[in-house]
Amino acid sequence: MREEDVDLFNRVQAQDEAALEQLYDRYERILYSFSFRVTNNKFLAEEAVQDVFTKIWTKQRNFDEKKGKFSSWLLTMARNTCIDLLRKRKETPYEFEERDSIQSKEPTPEDQVEWKERGEEMQSALKELPKEQQEIIELFYFKGMSQSAISKTCDIPLGTVKGRVRLSLKHLKGILTKKRERGVYEDG
Amino acid sequence: MAKQCDRLIDYFNNQLTEREREAFEIHLGECASCQEELAELEELTMDLPFGVDAVEPPEDMKDRVLSNVKNVNQVKDNAQSSDTTTKVTDIKDKKDMPPLKKKKSWYKPLIVATLTLSLVGNGVALIYLNQEEKPESTAPSEPEQEEVSLDTLSQKHALQPSEGVSAQATALMIEQNNHVNLVVQAEDLPPLSGEEAYQVWVLEDGTPYRAGTFISSEDGTGAVSYVMDYDKEYNFDTIAITKEPNANSQQPQGDILLSSPL
Repeated sequence: MREEDVDLFNRVQAQDEAALEQLYDRYERILYSFSFRVTNNKFLAEEAVQDVFTKIWTKQRNFDEKKGKFSSWLLTMARNTCIDLLRKRKETPYEFEERDSIQSKEPTPEDQVEWKERGEEMQSALKELPKEQQEIIELFYFKGMSQSAISKTCDIPLGTVKGRVRLSLKHLKGILTKKRERGVYEDG
Repeated sequence: MAKQCDRLIDYFNNQLTEREREAFEIHLGECASCQEELAELEELTMDLPFGVDAVEPPEDMKDRVLSNVKNVNQVKDNAQSSDTTTKVTDIKDKKDMPPLKKKKSWYKPLIVATLTLSLVGNGVALIYLNQEEKPESTAPSEPEQEEVSLDTLSQKHALQPSEGVSAQATALMIEQNNHVNLVVQAEDLPPLSGEEAYQVWVLEDGTPYRAGTFISSEDGTGAVSYVMDYDKEYNFDTIAITKEPNANSQQPQGDILLSSPL
């Protein structure tokens, strides 16, 4: 039976190397893919992955089950590291249009059940959003841009950024919720 | 308080300075609407990472990452087993290190520094006492230093190997008595022959400046400490290591083995 993430995590914190490797294998692909999406750089993506596991191994971070899923916690940690790494590099102008063309797309690995389930839904929901809301989410979440950078890139007043971010995310959630309801209905 | 509420996005995106973040967190503790909005952002973005396309990690990434992660631990064991006072041998006068015949005492501060940095996170200054270690009877003796100086670790970089190179290296910049001491430690280096030497360079807009020369031991490890005293202020953007025909190259002649942006 698949060992719970939390149990693995506790073993890793107790310096269990086998557990470290197991946890690494479980999350390498999603952490790397996500970090690559944020940094668009394979070296930085690898550095981010290493940083996440170093923080767990050295007990710099503690996971609190009450605060949500382990996978989301790991990914948030990776995202913060990526933003830090990007900030340390020189600012490079970002073109929204170019992103998809430079990524080699691969099928989501079969063994990544959670990723597959949550990912397919998310990808199709993102595509249903109007272009400018997709861009807001891209800049805000995947690029981790500052409010003023988003305002400049999208040419919108600074004071409207937060509102647009929230609106876009809520719209996305609405689409997802509908999809899930439909899914449940169809399965039933 | 409206001004603080406007910082929620930058707080979420880790874009605030230390001081701004502290101020915002105090505000957050008191502002119900910011708490709500933050929780909402967290909830709404929770599934987003799963929307990314799968990207194949480099083949040898697992080995690299796991060994680096575990290495931190070994370093920690070393640090714990040593005395409460960290002993550091000062080597600031040596620009070119002699060959590594055996583990020298100066190796320890480097790993302790790396460890502490990893533990406390980036940006936090590491301060330790700079204290001369008693020279071993066989080692060439150096004058005893009485003065105690406070060093701070200002930057740490993991150098990335070029295509087809398997070496690893870490660069630390330590501020010491108004100088910056660049410490580079490398592993898995390709072997040298004859008078060949490894040269560290720091670059500004593509112009290289020498920043330490070293040779490796039989197991491919090597390290160098270099005081960055240049004729004027530079804004270095890159650090790189090349293999040179001898220890005197004023311009790089070999290919870049390892490098990192600064």
